[in-house]
Order: sequence, then C-alpha cells, then structure tokens
Amino acid sequence: MASKAGDWRNYKRVLLPPVKDLHRLDVYEDHGGYDALRQALTTDKWDPASVTDEVKKSGLRGRGGAGFPTGLKWTFMPPVNPDVPRFICCNADESEPGTFKDRQVMEYNPHLVFEGMVLAGYAMTIKTAYLYVRGEYADWITHMERELEKAYAKGYVGENIMGSDFSMDIVIHKGAGAYICGEESSLMNSLEGRRAYPRIKPPFPAQKGIWNYPTTINNVETFAHVPLILSKGADWFSSIGAPSSPGPVLYGISGHVNRPGVYEYPSGMLISDLIDEVAGGMRGGKKLKAVVPGGSSVPVLRADMIDGVTMDPEGLRDAGSMLGTAGMLILDQDTDMVSFLRRITHFYHHESCGQCTPCREGTGWLENIVTRIDEGEGNVKDLDLLIDLCSQMEGRTVCALADAAAWPVRHTITRFREEFEAKCRPSLVATHVESAAV
Amino acid sequence: MTDFIKDPVVSLPDRMPEPVIPGDELFFTDEEKKQIETWVSRYPTADGAVMRVLWLAQEKFSFLPAEVVQLVANALDMPYAKVYGVATFYTQYFKEKKGKYVFDVCTCFSCQWCGGYDMLHYLEEKLRVHAGETTGDGLFTIQEAECLGACGSAPMLQITNGPYVHNLTREKIDALIDALREGNMPAFESVTLPQDEDELSGNRRTDVDKTTSSVTPPVSETVK
Repeated sequence: MASKAGDWRNYKRVLLPPVKDLHRLDVYEDHGGYDALRQALTTDKWDPASVTDEVKKSGLRGRGGAGFPTGLKWTFMPPVNPDVPRFICCNADESEPGTFKDRQVMEYNPHLVFEGMVLAGYAMTIKTAYLYVRGEYADWITHMERELEKAYAKGYVGENIMGSDFSMDIVIHKGAGAYICGEESSLMNSLEGRRAYPRIKPPFPAQKGIWNYPTTINNVETFAHVPLILSKGADWFSSIGAPSSPGPVLYGISGHVNRPGVYEYPSGMLISDLIDEVAGGMRGGKKLKAVVPGGSSVPVLRADMIDGVTMDPEGLRDAGSMLGTAGMLILDQDTDMVSFLRRITHFYHHESCGQCTPCREGTGWLENIVTRIDEGEGNVKDLDLLIDLCSQMEGRTVCALADAAAWPVRHTITRFREEFEAKCRPSLVATHVESAAV
Repeated sequence: MTDFIKDPVVSLPDRMPEPVIPGDELFFTDEEKKQIETWVSRYPTADGAVMRVLWLAQEKFSFLPAEVVQLVANALDMPYAKVYGVATFYTQYFKEKKGKYVFDVCTCFSCQWCGGYDMLHYLEEKLRVHAGETTGDGLFTIQEAECLGACGSAPMLQITNGPYVHNLTREKIDALIDALREGNMPAFESVTLPQDEDELSGNRRTDVDKTTSSVTPPVSETVK
C-alpha cells in the first residue's frame, strides 16, 4: 500500500505555520488570526448551523485518540433552551505516554485553540468553555493565561465578541496529575471538584455533562482545526491526506530516532517514511524492532508488520493496531520487550483510579506477573495467565482504562512471545497452550 | 460518633491529626480570598474551584496536611471529606512534607528507552537518597514520575510541579543541582520543533531565553 499523504515533502504547515512568535496575539492577527471568527460573527456567511455543517463536511475526526467525527459530535447537543446552561470543554489533559503534541500547539499557537473554541461555542450556542490543562503543564498554563487575557482585552473572547451579540467565556482549569482525567467523563468530574472517577455512559456528555448540563468535549488539536476549516473551506481540508480521516495531523515521534519531535504532515503518512525520512532514521544506525503508533495503550507493531502501513485509522486497523493519538514510539533492536511491557503495566497500575475492581486489581496483577517474568522468576504458563487476565478485564469496567491496560499486554506477548518465553524459567515439560488470536 | 452506631466494629478517630502548621499561620490573606472568589465565580458551584484553591494552599504551605485541607474546605464551604478525597486523588498534591526542590524524573515508556532510569539512578547516587526520599538538608526530593508529555525531548524531569528540564544528561543534572543549591530556578526551556529548525533556522519564540532542539541522547549515553 502506498502513502495516502500525497506530496507530503512539499506540505505547507497550517496548524504550526513557520511564523516567528505566532503565539503572540499581534503576530497571530497579522497572519489572518481571528478572521474566521470575524467572518462568522460579523457577516452573514456563517450561521451557527452552517459552521457545524462545514465541520461535518470536512470529515474532521477527533484527534484525542478515539477518532470520533467532530461535526457529528456537535450535532448531538440538544436544542438550545435558554434556561439550561451548556458547556464546551477542551481536553488538554494529554497524558497518554508517547503523546506530546497538544503541548506544542499550546506553546506555539494558543490563539488558534481559543478561536476554535469560540467558533465551536458559536456553532452550538454555548456561553462558557473550560480548557482543562493537566497540572504538569504549569508553565504553559501561565503562557496561555497571558495570551487569553490579551484576547479578552481585544474582544475576541468575553462579552459581545467583536461587537456581535454573541458572548463566550473561556476558563482555564488546572489539573493536578491524573492520567484518568484524559477520559472525558472523569475530566468532567474533576472539573466539578470531585475525584476524577469516570462515569457510566450513557448518558453521554451531550445529554448530561459538566454539572449534568449538555457538554461537548474535544481535544486541543481538534479545536485548532476548526478556524482553518472555516477560512480555507471543508473541501480544502478533506483533500488533505487519507480520505477517511483527512486533514493535517501532528505526529509526535519519540524513541530511538535521530530527530524526535512533533511534525505536522497530512494524515495517512507511511510509518516507514515517518521513521526514515521525517525523523532522520534510526539512532546509531540500529535496526528497527517495534513501533507503538499511537500512545502506550495501542497494540505494538513488530518491524515486519509496518511495511506499507499508513498512519490513519483504517491503515492501522488492518495492520493490527490503532491510530490513537498519533504519538509514536520507535524502538530499536536492543529494546527488551519484557522490560518495555513491565513499565507499561506499572504505568496503568499507578494510574488506575480504583473505581472498578477488574481494573484496580487487574492492573496490579498484570504488573506483578510481568515483573515476575522480567526478573526471571516466571513460568511459561504465566503468559497464558496474563492473556486470560486481560480477557477478564476488557470491557468489564466503567471506562476504557482497563482495556487500554490489557491491549498492550495481550499484543506484546502474542507478538514477542519468544522473548517472554526466553525470560521464563526453563520448563521440563514442553507446554503449548493456544494464545488468543493476534 | 453518630448515635445509631452503638458498637462500632472499627473505632474511627474522633479528632483531626496533630496539626503541623501553627494556628496563627493557618489562614488565607484578603488578597488570596479575593483570588478564590474570582475562581469560584467561574464555575456554577464553588466546588469547581477546589483544585485551584488546593494549588494555592500547596504553594503557600508547601504541602497539604489535614488542617490545610480543612482550611480549603472552609474557604469553599465544602465538606472536609470531599476536599480530602480530591487532595489525595491527584499525584501533584503533596500529602507529606517534601524537599524544597522535588525532582519528578519521568521514566515512562519513551523516557525509559532514552535513558530515564539512568538519569534517575544518577540522581539517586549523586544525592545519596532513593526515589521517594528527601535529602537530609531538606533541599531535594527525588520521585519517579509517569509520562509528563515531553517524550520528544526525553529523558526529562520536572522541578516541583514547575519548569521542565529537557534532554537530560549527567552534565546537565550536575549544573542543575549546582544552580538550585544557589537558589536559581532554571528558566523556561522551549523545545524547538524539528520542522522549525529547517524552516525558521531555530526556535520560533523570541521571548524565551533558553531553547533546546529535540534530539535523542547519543547512543553511548544510554546503550551499554
């Protein structure tokens, strides 16, 4: 399969265009900033419904990990009732290991996010937006608060934006370190001043969100696309990259490559292009061993599984993984996959919120057993015990954290089984138990 | 104890733990109260502001013992148990006294494979304490942190819930500790986007003093 990203070598960046000091309001204005908002609020070109339609038409899919169509999500909001408040929430909790793209948008182009949020507020007639940023990003919160203040002063946010009768506030909410807050329903609980326990769905946020009022939650990068879609058109957006999930994507590449970092390219890039050409190849000329294409919870791919695989939901699904957040971890030949899995299970054990038993206990057992194997104390049958344990966690909890903890275990073991067996205690009786399908 | 529990199976403490913050220091100033009011006004209920107020309290008292949690609960008119639940849920709120500088060394995933543990162990050796412990002079605490969202500039650490230090090396850690011993917090460090290096020949922000390009450490640093 070929790249779906077209002529990506000549791609011109739009989310993070090459402009010095674009994070400053005056520079942002000079480069067409808040023009889309001005057009929506002060001309007849866009009424709220047509903004949603345009986003729908563009084919934008959420960039937070689940890849849900954004325009469709917006239409789930119930009809406006002046007596019932409604909210927007921007999810900037970004805590999936391997993901660091939203921080770059907040650092280098925060006004694009603010503009996207106000446009979304206009489309859904919402007066209050919360920007939930993880507490670790304290420096970026300070920077954004400074820029948000300027946007208020210039009338891009607040009362009667640009002289229109539309008003909206943006409140920056500072988290305090909990992976689970990236899950939308626990983020809502966290905003309300509770422990961040996920909620059972349904009801979905559009029916009962923050304080049980209708709420729409999108990712930072998703909101950042909205002003671009309105100013350049849905057709422009849908012509970029893979047709099923079009648009620019921020690829966060980390691990054993020469030039790690966040890159903006069309969706549907070949994984091999991203490693060899974009990120400058493998560090120290070593051989590729494994790729985690979208954050720690997506199934890991062996080097021989990435031939012709593109970074879009369908391409990765066919290859046996998921797009997730497009935060890629590249691992070279020297990586010990047992130790790799041990660290992942430690992460999920630490971050399980403790609400559901299969997850609270299961993540702990995953860590214990993988640690046992890593320290040479495990038996081969432990591998099947682990896979059985995964089956008992998946789909049995309120949120998807248990699934996110189970997938890497299941797939790392099935795809690197020899390595795990080699670390186990030698068995006198050859055992062979069928593993679950890859 | 409530009346209807005549013979409790578990005896519950009927009083708060011994306070560690002196009573005459345990208050919010008028200015802080005003700030809290502003935060409260941004949410439909006062509860929404609890995370911000806990942050404020932690900055002021350096950690959150029971009497500080009670102070926050009083300020927001919330039950103590609810505030306590929030304060203990999130990792960044300190429930016990830590060093003046807390090193959250990321060892998750990307950092693990770019030398995060080497950096953690180097710090442990250098400061002669284990992860989770504080040095005898009360200056430094070392902690193992989960992903801090700076995977491209791994390995990295965060200092007391504040600035990030990217692309750690042993030399960088030495310099950092020397600077902190003299009371100099490092400035905000901006990680340059690789595409900006090509198209803008460097970092795009002119208002930051310190920039670093995201490079993996040389193979010799991390691969034995």
